[in-house]
Amino acid sequence: LKGRKLIPTRAALVLTKAAVDRVKELTREEPGVLGLRIGVKQRGCNGLSYTLEFAKEKAKLDEVVQQDGVTVLIDKKAQLSLLGTEMDYVSTTLSSEFVFNNPNIQGTCGCGESFNL
Amino acid sequence: DLDIRRNFVAPFSRHVSVLNCAVENDKEVPKKDEGVDKKPALVLSDSAVSRLEEILKEDNFLRVHVEGGGCSGFQYVFSIDKESRDDDIVITRGGAKVVIDETSLEFVKGATVDYHRELIRSAFRIADNPQAEQGCSCGSSFSVKF
Repeated sequence: LKGRKLIPTRAALVLTKAAVDRVKELTREEPGVLGLRIGVKQRGCNGLSYTLEFAKEKAKLDEVVQQDGVTVLIDKKAQLSLLGTEMDYVSTTLSSEFVFNNPNIQGTCGCGESFNL
Repeated sequence: DLDIRRNFVAPFSRHVSVLNCAVENDKEVPKKDEGVDKKPALVLSDSAVSRLEEILKEDNFLRVHVEGGGCSGFQYVFSIDKESRDDDIVITRGGAKVVIDETSLEFVKGATVDYHRELIRSAFRIADNPQAEQGCSCGSSFSVKF
């Protein structure tokens, strides 16, 4: 098995067009940034909550998702909970936010920010 | 709470001009909304004002409403509205207009309406609510102090 690599058959995360556009828009304003990094944090009433930050470089265990010219890194801790998730960007007059449509989620908070698996 | 404030204000107004005194005396007539009149019912933050100036059209306004629900008992609901009701209280600053009904105001009196910008989300929120004990992490839900 030595030297053999496990190649994933599909991307860990799929971005919708709206999400791609928004990530492009955000990274364009920040010079020297590789992409966005998604993490999870232990907070919220339902256990976990996603975080988003600018990533200057790839950390050792980051999963890299490249799609339509944008790069999204997934933090080691977030990989398990994000697998197979669709990342969307929903914008209305009152709020605009990234939404993660995660098939593994069992329950969410009222506002949809925190979740449990 | 009201009594304390009246006692605090009264000695001062006596030393000011007669005109001011007259005005002050006028207000002495017990009124239900006196506390609301003296202090802004809701504070609008700079970012909320600039965002509202961007999105509000003509006679539209932002309606803040408190309803039961969410993980902490109560939650804030924001909407764009253009029909006012009888018990509405209007707060304006610059080109921004925020409206809240009397019942909801009881739960958020003195709080700040803010437009919070973050990488993952930009949205209106209620910040520094003196009536709330603790909230949900996202701030959309809260429980009331008794």
